[in-house]
Amino acid sequence: MSAVGSRARRSASFLRPGSGLLILPPAVWVLAVLVAPIVLIGLYSVNLKTNLLGVPTAFSTANWKDFLPPGPNPFWDRFKISMTITLVVSVITVVAAYPLAYFLAFVAGKRRYALLMVLLAPFFTSYLLRVIAWEVILNNHGVINSLLWDLGLRTRGDGIPWLIYSKFSVGLVLFYSWVPFVAVPMFVVLDTMDRSLIEAAHDLGASRLTAFLRVTFPLSIPGVIAGFVFVLIPTTGEFITPLLVGGPSSFMFGNSIQSFFTDTPNWNYGAVLALWLVAIVLVMLVVFGRYLSTDLEDAAT
Amino acid sequence: MTILEWDGYQAAGTKAQTTKGIVFGKDYTDEFGANGLAYSLITNDSQAIGKVRTGSKFDLLHPCAENFKDYVDGGFVQPFDTSLLPSFANLNPALVKGGQFNGQQYAIPWDWGYGSVIYRTDMVDPADATGWELFWNPKYKGRISMWNGATTNFEIAALKLGFPEMDNLSTDQLDQATQALIEQKPLNKRLWVSEYTDLQPMLTNGDVWIAYSWQDQWVYGREHKPPIPFNFMQPTQGRLGWYCGFMLGKDTANYYHAHKYVESFINHQACLSLTNNFYYGSSDATVKISEITDPLLAKSLSIGDPNVLSDTSKVHLQSWEPNEVAVQTAWEKVTAA
Repeated sequence: MSAVGSRARRSASFLRPGSGLLILPPAVWVLAVLVAPIVLIGLYSVNLKTNLLGVPTAFSTANWKDFLPPGPNPFWDRFKISMTITLVVSVITVVAAYPLAYFLAFVAGKRRYALLMVLLAPFFTSYLLRVIAWEVILNNHGVINSLLWDLGLRTRGDGIPWLIYSKFSVGLVLFYSWVPFVAVPMFVVLDTMDRSLIEAAHDLGASRLTAFLRVTFPLSIPGVIAGFVFVLIPTTGEFITPLLVGGPSSFMFGNSIQSFFTDTPNWNYGAVLALWLVAIVLVMLVVFGRYLSTDLEDAAT
Repeated sequence: MTILEWDGYQAAGTKAQTTKGIVFGKDYTDEFGANGLAYSLITNDSQAIGKVRTGSKFDLLHPCAENFKDYVDGGFVQPFDTSLLPSFANLNPALVKGGQFNGQQYAIPWDWGYGSVIYRTDMVDPADATGWELFWNPKYKGRISMWNGATTNFEIAALKLGFPEMDNLSTDQLDQATQALIEQKPLNKRLWVSEYTDLQPMLTNGDVWIAYSWQDQWVYGREHKPPIPFNFMQPTQGRLGWYCGFMLGKDTANYYHAHKYVESFINHQACLSLTNNFYYGSSDATVKISEITDPLLAKSLSIGDPNVLSDTSKVHLQSWEPNEVAVQTAWEKVTAA
């Protein structure tokens, strides 16, 4: 007994060498790849570091003052437009993904995991390639316009002007890209939902619609919010899609950041925009985090 | 060797160089093979200097003249030993001079060309196509594509607005040019990024009728089957002119290889290949009109005239800008507006 007990204690000791040690690797990781770069960007944003030759490094909030209201600033306007695009795309994506998740969880039966893989199949190809594929479809001489010309619905050579290089094309491609990803958390919640609650609702006389509205949907809200956050946060900093299928008036805030760090190498101004975006994402995480369960399965049951 | 290069200009013999008949770089790859060459690609000048300023190291670079001084002042490059370049003596003295700083040859000029408005003559009224203001003509909204090149667009705006020094705008002039570009922006179908995968298809299939371009697209249009009715405008305000060249990385460990590489680009056959295959002018002053396969191109490039880029009534050479950062930041404001 004592030997077994001793072995068990050693085993427990091995698994719990101390919370400090266990937390050390992730803490180092977070510090190195998340906190340190943000601090570095912070230094650039107040001109304590610079990539500009001949510009002295001295604390300055000039770039912040230039960017933040009330002064007129196109980047601030671009931020507002980007957030509008992001919010609209996020809402539409969630609305579209919910029926998919519902179908997989309640209708697809044993084939649901196979169908889930089919749904996720586009993720096995490069994001860039998927966006470029849309360029081929939406282009003035692309699949849709060519079809309209062949059907005689538009004059040959006259493409729908807003089909590509517009806010529409940016929104459409973002929507397409994120629908499968958004469906997953909703599927997890719906799939693991306690079905006896729905059966109880029916037993008490609730119609299918009432049971859905009063039981199924409220219980799936953590998944809905998780899906919403999954699309909202990455698209907030999106720049590839607007770069490839967006026009000059549909660039997003992320394009300005990317451009300041590459095409127009003014890291100091770019750092202000980047840090602002980080702050917005953190606020969103705090706001939506309140409604998210860390265990979606628990939330559903 | 690591080379900062424009896409399409990789040496003959590398896998990336797929254009048939290209000779530039061939002598080098014939002698040393292509495995030792690695390219870092750029799509505009700001990106090039940006890469270097942010710490990227290259053995060779291929920037354009407006940024030569930035590379030298930044201490990113070192002078060439021109005695290691047998073809150096053949190069256009006016362009060679532009590559000299502190009495040393920091840049070896190689390619040059014009920048102007290219337009479809079957779509654009000739009466409208007189100068740079064509980009601002609302009649062609959605059929215009300017380049996503920050400083170039300000030079265009400056020429349109009649500012005499397009590369040294005052604060007030910069504000006016910014406003003009913000007004122009909605007329663009797209701000093109890549010449070959972006601009060329849009012009060819008719999605875009008016664009900023270099003269090579005009030749491409004429050689296309069937020919595409392009005109490369001689604006009333004058065309833009540019030239680029090779610069030697300050810390290169491949000093002699880098010279060999540059020589393989500036020798006579390589320069002919640049003009006959890519339709750009070369720095080789010994090229004769009879050696250029396209007589119209030879005429357009004024082959044999070493001062071709000096006639300010016809061409404005894109030059170093003292307030480049302000111009670039203003361009970001234009794209964000």
